[in-house]
Order: sequence, then C-alpha cells, then structure tokens
Amino acid sequence: MTFNAFLSLLHGAGVTVSVSMAGIALGVPFGLVLALLRWRRVPLLAPLTTVYVSLLRSTPAVTLCLLIFFALPVIGIEIDALSAAIATLALNTAAFNCEIWRSGLTSFPREQVEAARTFGMSGTLIFRRIIFPQLWRTCLPALVNEMTLLIKSSTAIAVIGVAEITRAAIRIGAQTYDPLPPMLVATGIYVVLVLVFVGIQRLTERLYGQAGGAR
Amino acid sequence: MIRDVSLIWQNADRLLDGLTNTVILSLVGATLALVFGALVAIALMASNRAVRLTSRGLVDLMRCVPFLMLVYLVYYGLPRLGLRFDSWTAGLVAIVIYNTAYMAEIIRGIWSRLERETIEAGIAFGFHGWKLVARIVMPQIFLAAAPMIGNQLIQIIKDTAFLTIIAVPELTHAANSIQAQYFIPFATFLSAVLLYWALCMVVELGVFVVERIAEKRR
Amino acid sequence: MTEAATETRDPPVLEISGLTKTFGDRIVLDGVSLSVARGQTVCLLGPSGSGKSTLLRCVNWLETPDQGAIYLSGERMGIRKGGVVPMGNGELARLRMRMGTVFQHFNLWPHMSVLQNIIEAPIHVQKRRRDEVIAEAEALLENVGLSDKRDAFPSRLSGGQKQRVGIARALAMKPELLLFDEPTSALDPELVGEVIAVMKTLSQGGSTMLVVTHEMGFARETADKVVLMDAGRIVEEGEPEVFFGRPKTERARQFLQRYVSA
Repeated sequence: MTFNAFLSLLHGAGVTVSVSMAGIALGVPFGLVLALLRWRRVPLLAPLTTVYVSLLRSTPAVTLCLLIFFALPVIGIEIDALSAAIATLALNTAAFNCEIWRSGLTSFPREQVEAARTFGMSGTLIFRRIIFPQLWRTCLPALVNEMTLLIKSSTAIAVIGVAEITRAAIRIGAQTYDPLPPMLVATGIYVVLVLVFVGIQRLTERLYGQAGGAR
Repeated sequence: MIRDVSLIWQNADRLLDGLTNTVILSLVGATLALVFGALVAIALMASNRAVRLTSRGLVDLMRCVPFLMLVYLVYYGLPRLGLRFDSWTAGLVAIVIYNTAYMAEIIRGIWSRLERETIEAGIAFGFHGWKLVARIVMPQIFLAAAPMIGNQLIQIIKDTAFLTIIAVPELTHAANSIQAQYFIPFATFLSAVLLYWALCMVVELGVFVVERIAEKRR
Repeated sequence: MTEAATETRDPPVLEISGLTKTFGDRIVLDGVSLSVARGQTVCLLGPSGSGKSTLLRCVNWLETPDQGAIYLSGERMGIRKGGVVPMGNGELARLRMRMGTVFQHFNLWPHMSVLQNIIEAPIHVQKRRRDEVIAEAEALLENVGLSDKRDAFPSRLSGGQKQRVGIARALAMKPELLLFDEPTSALDPELVGEVIAVMKTLSQGGSTMLVVTHEMGFARETADKVVLMDAGRIVEEGEPEVFFGRPKTERARQFLQRYVSA
C-alpha cells in the first residue's frame, strides 16, 4: 500500500468524521425538540413524534440513505450525496437522542419544577434556567455513547457513493488488487476513532455521570 | 402515486423474497451468535487470566469495528487467505462473527450481576462444570437478557441492510432493484421501511411475551 | 480434640479436625474440631462474625480451608486419598450430593417452579429416575405443608414457604447430613415458627443435622449437642441442659445473657 493510498484513507476518515459531526450537530438538538414535544404532550405533534421515533429506530441507515437520496428529487427536492448523507445520520440519530433526552426529562425531579413555579417562573424560563443546565449533564454520557454508534453506522453513506473510510478502502483495494492492507488500516482508523469517543464517554461519566444523576 | 402502489403490488413477490432473506439471515445469524456468544461469555468469565484477557481484547476490538468493515473483511479480505464465500454466506458469517461479540458482552454483563447465591446453591447440590452452566446459570441469564437480546436482534435486522452493498438479495437490495427498474424510489423504499418496522414490532412483541414469562421467575 | 461418636461405633457422619481458614490476615477459623454422629442434631451458636457460617461453607468446600480436614462418613472431603492433591469439581460434586444444604437466603433457583427446584439435583446430579423423584418430591411437599404450591415460582412465595421448599429440596437428595445455615434469620418473626416446626420434626425423625442458628429455643429443645463459637474457636460444647443451665465458661455466660434474654 502506497503513501498516497494511506493519504486517501485519511481523507476518507476526514469525511467520516465531518459528516458524522454534522449529523450530530443537527441530530442532538432535533432530538431534544422531539423529546420536548413528547414531554409536554403537545397535541398532534407528540403522537407524530412517537411514530417517528419508532419508525426511525427500526429503519436501517442504508435504507434511509437510499430513500433520502433517490426519493427526495422525485418530489422536487434536489439533494447532493453529501447533504443526503448528513440528513440520513441526523434523522437517524435524532430518534435515538430523543429517547435519551426524554428519559432524562421524565426522571427530572418534579419538586424542582414546582419550586420554580412558586417563584413565578414561566415554563420556558424554568426549562432554560432550571431543567436544561442539569439535563444536559445527565444525558451527556448516553449522548456520547450514541455518537459512537453513529460513527459506526456512518458507513451506510458509502451506499450513495460518499467517499468515506470504507469506500476509500474498497477503491484502493480494487486499484491494487490487494484489498486486505487498506481494509486493515481502515479498521485501525475506526478503532482509534471509536476509542477516542469511548474515552470521551468515560470522561463525561466521571465528570457528570454521578453529579447530574437523578437526585 | 396510484401507479406507484400498483407497481409495488406487482413486484410484491420480489420484496417478499428480500424480506424472507432478511428474516433468515437475521434469525440464523442471531441464533448462532447467541450460541457462540454464550461460549465466549464463559471465556470472559474464566478464572484463567490469559483466557479472560484474550477474549476481552477480541470482544472489545470487534465492538470498535463498523459492521460494514467486517463484511468487507470477510467478503474481500478472507479470499486472500484462501477462504472464499459467496456473498450470502459471507454476509451470514459476518453477522455471526460481529454479533458473537455483542451477545457475549450482553451475557457477561448479566452473568456478573447474577446473584452468586443461586449458583452456589447449585454447587452445594453437586452441580459442576457444564451442567452447572447449562441448567442453573444460563437459563437465568437468558430470562433476564431477553430485552437486550431483542434489541440486538433489531440491530441485526437493520445491519442486514448493509449486505446490499455486497449484493446479498435482502430486503433493501430488492427495493433498490425495483426502484432502479421503474424509477419509483419513494414508494419502494417506503415499503421497505414499513416492512422493517413491522419486523421490529414482531421482535418487540416477542420480547414482551418472554418478559411476561420471566416476570414470574425472578 | 477428637470426640468419638457417642452412640455407635461407625465413623461419625461428619468429622472436622483442626480446621483453619484465613481471609487475608483475618483468622476466621482457628483450629476447629467437631463431630456429628448419625442421628444427632448439633447446633452451632455464636455471635455474628464468629466463623459459624464459614465453617459450614468449608464443610461443603464452598470455601477451601487452609489447614485441617473434614470427613464425611470417614471419607476425606476436598482432598484425594494421600492427603495432598485437591479434588476436581466432579469428585467434589460426588461428595456434595451426599449432603443437603439449607441456606439463609433460601437460594432457590428463580427460573424453576417449586417442584422443579426439588427434583432438579436428584434427576440431573444423582441421575435418579424422574417418576420416582417426582413422587418423592410430592411427598416431601406434603410433609412441609406446601402441596398446593407445587407449580408456583419462588418469587410468589413468602419467606417461610421459600425456606420450607429449601428444606424439601435438601431432603430430596436423601442426604447423610443436613446443613442449615441460619435458616430462619432472613425470615419475618411471625414466619420463623413454621420453619422451626419442620426442622424439629426432621430432628426427631432421626436426621443428622448441623444447624447454625440464633434460635436458642430450638437449640435448647432439639439439639443433642450445642457448640458455642467465638472469634473462630469453639469456646464451649455440651448437652443443651448443661450449656443453657450451667455454662462452664465465662464467655458462654456472657453470650447467654445477651442472646437468651433478648
């Protein structure tokens, strides 16, 4: 395997990481919005969210990616492969993040909310000043864990031709007729990526896991 | 839209063939992974340090690798070492290897939290070795593990969609080939998504039933 | 100290000699010797932490003693003939299946019904005939007054019922020796009586029993011999009338003052 081949694997790793990060940046807040809709039992939207979460949690990322990439243009929305990839990961991870946020919300101590209400705080103010600062600490370890899973499922975007790590590895293998070395290097890159996230997760658990736990 | 639905209806047998492959791959893969996973869990719980650390390392490594990467390694990599599979078998082999690690970790997690006392009672009554594991330890583990095994089965069902990339004729592959022929991506992929959904619902129903059985026994 | 069996010339069912066990630098058993003759009920008393339960676990070889020996009807437990090589799990199992153990926390197998709990080891360890074992198990359930709970699961039983199942499970092994590890201390006070009643019947029926207990009444009325342990040693042993009426040691007097009046 040449140095150039190694560089293009690293480039693939860059694509994997940046597309994943974009998916996380969109999916985590979207998940929170979904969770709030369900938590506040917003009419019509809350049940829709329930269906969305259930549906997305059982949809393979590959299938979702194909659906977004091929079907959106049919209904008049032009979308390039990279955007479709980011949308896939964001929509997918949002469903899982919704469940994480929601379990944090449902286990949030009621007394604190009631106390805030007696001080005349409004609903949004209570969420902003009382709930959220504690909520994100409680949820962070689980959210980071979900990010690790997202990195691993991000390989799905190879199916629409995005040149992430696995696709780069396959291409090098096809060019050199020696698929094993680039694959092993690619595997090594994933191991490093995942270990970094596992490390972050352990760190967040130590920092916030107990401190922000449901008390 | 009506035309799309009728085209899907005409090609329903192709979708169902894909679904059948998805179900067979998932069920056979999950069952084998569970059996091997139980064996690996025994290694993870072994008193021998070398056995324990080796199996720990392999399981952790496997859990760092994306499923598709393993599929590639089995399908394109192993032939270099003289092991050649057709794509269907390669897919199954990858499912089994990959999920053995996850199942082993599920079983080990529950095993380590299992009450030591019921196992000790087994030893005091003369159970040992394989029989102790098979009659006292594992039944308790499987009853407690049902929800997690169910979740893993759902993960496996979703992972089988990756196998379209090496042209295994599973559900997503079938949907993709229908949409490529008739250019009706929305209807076909939506049908596939709904079928995956239904499949996962069935698994969750199964978990619910096992939970009800387990409820009495703990 | 080796006390000869009092009534028969057979080897005692259980013979413990010079047993020592340490956990780290804590000495839990310090040269304990004790014997239980056929048909005897021996009660082990003592404050918590005195080593009673560890002694019982050593008899089962659930703990491996550091020194000393245990004989079950003359057969050395845990060490092969020659006295050096430790037994494998299979050999240990063959000796363990000749004892029946009743645990403090019952330790019933939660995934099996009451009947299954009782027949499990006789069928799968002792390899006895299934129909014969089931018939015996049903008779045992009748004896402990739980025929109607045959197909219930342990989680649905009260503590007293669980412990009676535990006793039936031990009896189904047709054991030479019954070991009781504080069988009533995890029970609500009002449930202690039903378990004690079953144990009394067993004792009067000629079972050989070694009982770790805090139930002084049971010890006084039922035991053939009472043994008081403290800090890993046997402080005093004797017939219950003597032990409870005219204890010989100061330690026994202190112990009785605290526990019998309480």
